[in-house]
Amino acid sequence: MSGAEALGPTELDKEEERRLYREEMAIARKYIGPFPVVMALWCFSNLLCWFALWPLVIFDVIPLWAGFLIATANVALCYLPSHEAQHSNYANPGTPLRWLNELIGYVSTIPLVLPFKIARYTHMRHHKHTNDPKLDPDYEVIAPTWQQAVFKTIRRMQPGFPNSYGQVLTDNADDPAAKRAGLEGMVQSLTYWGILCTLAWSGYALEAAFLWWMPRLLGNIYISLFLSWWPHHPMKEMGRYRNTRSFSHKFGNLVAFGMEDHIIHHLHPGMPLNRNKAAFRELRPILEARRCRLEDH
Amino acid sequence: MTILKALFPWGPVFFGLGFLAPLIAALMINLTITAPFGLTELQTGLIVGGTWGLVAKFGGRWI
Repeated sequence: MSGAEALGPTELDKEEERRLYREEMAIARKYIGPFPVVMALWCFSNLLCWFALWPLVIFDVIPLWAGFLIATANVALCYLPSHEAQHSNYANPGTPLRWLNELIGYVSTIPLVLPFKIARYTHMRHHKHTNDPKLDPDYEVIAPTWQQAVFKTIRRMQPGFPNSYGQVLTDNADDPAAKRAGLEGMVQSLTYWGILCTLAWSGYALEAAFLWWMPRLLGNIYISLFLSWWPHHPMKEMGRYRNTRSFSHKFGNLVAFGMEDHIIHHLHPGMPLNRNKAAFRELRPILEARRCRLEDH
Repeated sequence: MTILKALFPWGPVFFGLGFLAPLIAALMINLTITAPFGLTELQTGLIVGGTWGLVAKFGGRWI
């Protein structure tokens, strides 16, 4: 076995394996517990900002180009609070705040027009089958360089390119959850196109284009690059401790949307994004012992 | 649902006519670009948007 490969239960001494696992879980539990206030505030402040842009631009309080830049940031930022909701990190089913979890899931991605149920359904499969060429719905992002990943994402947006999320729903057509997700997705997409066309024919074509349509395209590229390509590249390995990596981005973790520590998310999806960095620092010795892909040097 | 399924493949054409056409017209007015052949900006938008939508529908890509 090469030194670069992860040490699983068969390679590690059984007792050592159990000790590492116990330590890992003990650390992880400290960061999983409390309600992720930061992520909830992130959702609503970002959404409010995006909604506010419309009257601000329409009534010439701010120029369209400024609205475009802010809207693009809003779209790129709107996914992550919903991502927490996909993992039920605000509230589990059957708990009093479950409504809030689902609300955040639905409303956070309005600017991105990403239907919550489709996002949850496909994202759970991504976690279960990370880097599996056939079963990981996010595998399509694979590319040798980040520049090629950007071009590939643009190609994936073209009407003739197969939609991997749509394929997952088709493959699971007998599952009521997939059916429901597909229906909700269709309603949300049609509503989006309906609003866009109505705005365009009502004299607000430029506002519709530069506050929603273009930001959505650019936001999609950014999200795909930083949330899918960068943390999983080169997408060759599977398994709990090797399917995701830590990395250092030259423009910092904020630009990378906190994905430098995405390995923590795959190990402990119940831990909110804003606690990943601290957890990563504390878990590092265990991850090193496991020979995880720590490429943040 | 059946109607939607039948219309879905024509999405790029609807998008070209429903969104790109008024957008092109608005851009032309904003950038003071004169429409050719005595057409209005909106007529130009409908021709360009509709054609582009057809190209996307049959060619499988917008760009």
